[in-house]
Amino acid sequence: MAEPILEVSGLVKHYPLTRGVLFKKQIGAVKAVDGVDFTLAQGETLGIVGESGCGKSTVARLLCGLERPTAGTITFKGEDITRLSGKALKAVRRNIQMVFQDPYTSLNPRMTVGDIIGEPYDIHPEAAPKGDRRRRVQELLDVVGLDPEYINRYPHQFSGGQRQRIGIARGLALRPEIIVADEPVSALDVSIQAQVVNLLARLQTEFDLSYLFIAHDLSIVRHISDRVAVMYLGRIVETGRDSEIYDHPTHPYTQALLSAVPVPDPDAREHRERIILTGDVPSPADIPSGCRFRTRCWKAQERCVVEVPALAVPAAFRDAAGPAAHPSACHFAEEKQVVPPEESRLNGNGPG
Amino acid sequence: MLLDARDLHVEFHTRDGIAHAVNGVGYAVDAGQTLAVLGESGSGKSVTAQAVMGILDTPPGRITQGRILFRGRDLLTLKGEERRRIRGTEMAMIFQDALSALNPVMTVGDQLGEMFVVHRGMSRKDARARAVELMERVRIPAAAQRVRDYPHQFSGGMRQRIMIAMALALEPALIIADEPTTALDVTVQAQVMDLLADLQREYRMGLILITHDLGVVADVADRIAVMYAGRIVETAPVHDLYKAPAHPYTRGLLDSIPRLDHKGRQLYAIKGLPPNLTHIPPGCSFHPRCPMARDVCRTDEPPLYEVSETRGSACHFWRECLDG
Repeated sequence: MAEPILEVSGLVKHYPLTRGVLFKKQIGAVKAVDGVDFTLAQGETLGIVGESGCGKSTVARLLCGLERPTAGTITFKGEDITRLSGKALKAVRRNIQMVFQDPYTSLNPRMTVGDIIGEPYDIHPEAAPKGDRRRRVQELLDVVGLDPEYINRYPHQFSGGQRQRIGIARGLALRPEIIVADEPVSALDVSIQAQVVNLLARLQTEFDLSYLFIAHDLSIVRHISDRVAVMYLGRIVETGRDSEIYDHPTHPYTQALLSAVPVPDPDAREHRERIILTGDVPSPADIPSGCRFRTRCWKAQERCVVEVPALAVPAAFRDAAGPAAHPSACHFAEEKQVVPPEESRLNGNGPG
Repeated sequence: MLLDARDLHVEFHTRDGIAHAVNGVGYAVDAGQTLAVLGESGSGKSVTAQAVMGILDTPPGRITQGRILFRGRDLLTLKGEERRRIRGTEMAMIFQDALSALNPVMTVGDQLGEMFVVHRGMSRKDARARAVELMERVRIPAAAQRVRDYPHQFSGGMRQRIMIAMALALEPALIIADEPTTALDVTVQAQVMDLLADLQREYRMGLILITHDLGVVADVADRIAVMYAGRIVETAPVHDLYKAPAHPYTRGLLDSIPRLDHKGRQLYAIKGLPPNLTHIPPGCSFHPRCPMARDVCRTDEPPLYEVSETRGSACHFWRECLDG
């Protein structure tokens, strides 16, 4: 694979919990992101999945420079961007843009679509000469499948799917190399979701973009991603190519997550094994010792309480070159097929 | 039949005109049966349920036509007090957002117990004991201690369990669950759906499950009714519908969801947007988005054709659609 365009190592974000008004004393920390490493190659899509509170959105905000990491480095094209400030930071930010989840609150209701999409040019005037902006914005509208005539309309005049297109156009305005999309389709209806997912795929080829695609919907992540990282309580617990994760998961959390996804096939009801996890995700302010998944894991033993499992290819699979040989942070990693194989599928490929 | 809603029409008076939210919807559910009502936002699935439950905001809403037969009696002709009694004891509703459906300044024990005090005339002490029992039924750990907690002290999944407990309290014959797991994470969603299915079997309740998630439907429903622009466009036993949809909208929905088991190149996308309910297109309301639409679709509104004894489709060309 090509040289990674983005490299994240040891990324940590802790939010201090304090007591007292005048004399603040730190009594603990919410460990939102607690040691995350990954790379993103040019033109690649890395999907990050996890349940609420696993820290996936915090990772997104750290990458875009909306939050400062507590520790760790983010390297963009060989340059450490975590400690940058002022002009240098601004220059780097141009290249990493974000698409937000909620198309209703992420667009300013008092600004026209033209102003919203053109706003990045106010911040980075070198990206487009003043006289050229209107034309650029209209081009962007066209690229995301909206009528360029809509440039003077306001967000409320658009549907949810169209608003998300506006958000994407804004993300594209500065011609970034990386787009960080945080749950870009989860607020949309099923029939609209497909339109936006297809748009993102088309833009990726057209502009040679690299995507960090964050979502809780495992099916969509599989559809769009080349590689997938599964997060739990601030850490990546398993990572690999999409088929490695979905067809050959070795971490119990990934297996439980996959088995819990409702599959749109009533015949799967009978012959599908469900792993129902007990309990809730522990609080990120009070992370269990050892393996952080052990409190909900059916395999947990003494060792899991004391020893933190490293994210590496488990010893059992190290010599075999099969699809199960991918990094998984579990002492007792074993392969288990939880998504029924494709043969049982009945549907065709679209009407007509 | 436990519940039999027929030819229901609901409209809302808005600034932009009259929004026709429900236009002749009929569905039925029997004891021990699960009917899934599937639709996207604005399809009228929740409004229909609110009409059945009798919690529609009137005004701006208005039921203009139709009958809702519950155990043979038409709910729409009942007096306020009687309707309220049925709503409290014989049918119950579970909402999507438990945090806003529960009272934040009352302990969950008092909220659960209130059901028994008001409807069964129990003493507060007995009601408290029943509340603990109910919380155990919905598998809330350490129920005896947690009965004194307030809703915000519970996690999302636990709150949804409390809602289920509350709905079950008086052992109703019918439960309407409006997107009960949409706000929950997948692993918690699986726990809650499992629980709901178990309890439904045990009490032989009728369940109307309102959802937009084709996966959840496939997991739990017996029958399914697909809604679009305030009408039922297809209704069928669940297995039949997934095997061969008889309406192009259903087919489009099934094809547009990404699959967990393989990686597709491009998703099929239904073109365009759902219609504005103040200006529903003439003829078949789906025709502007339909890949099979012909002239007749633009002028003639399709009735719910009988596809088989147990299936119906509101498409002039359901035969073609069924053949793929």
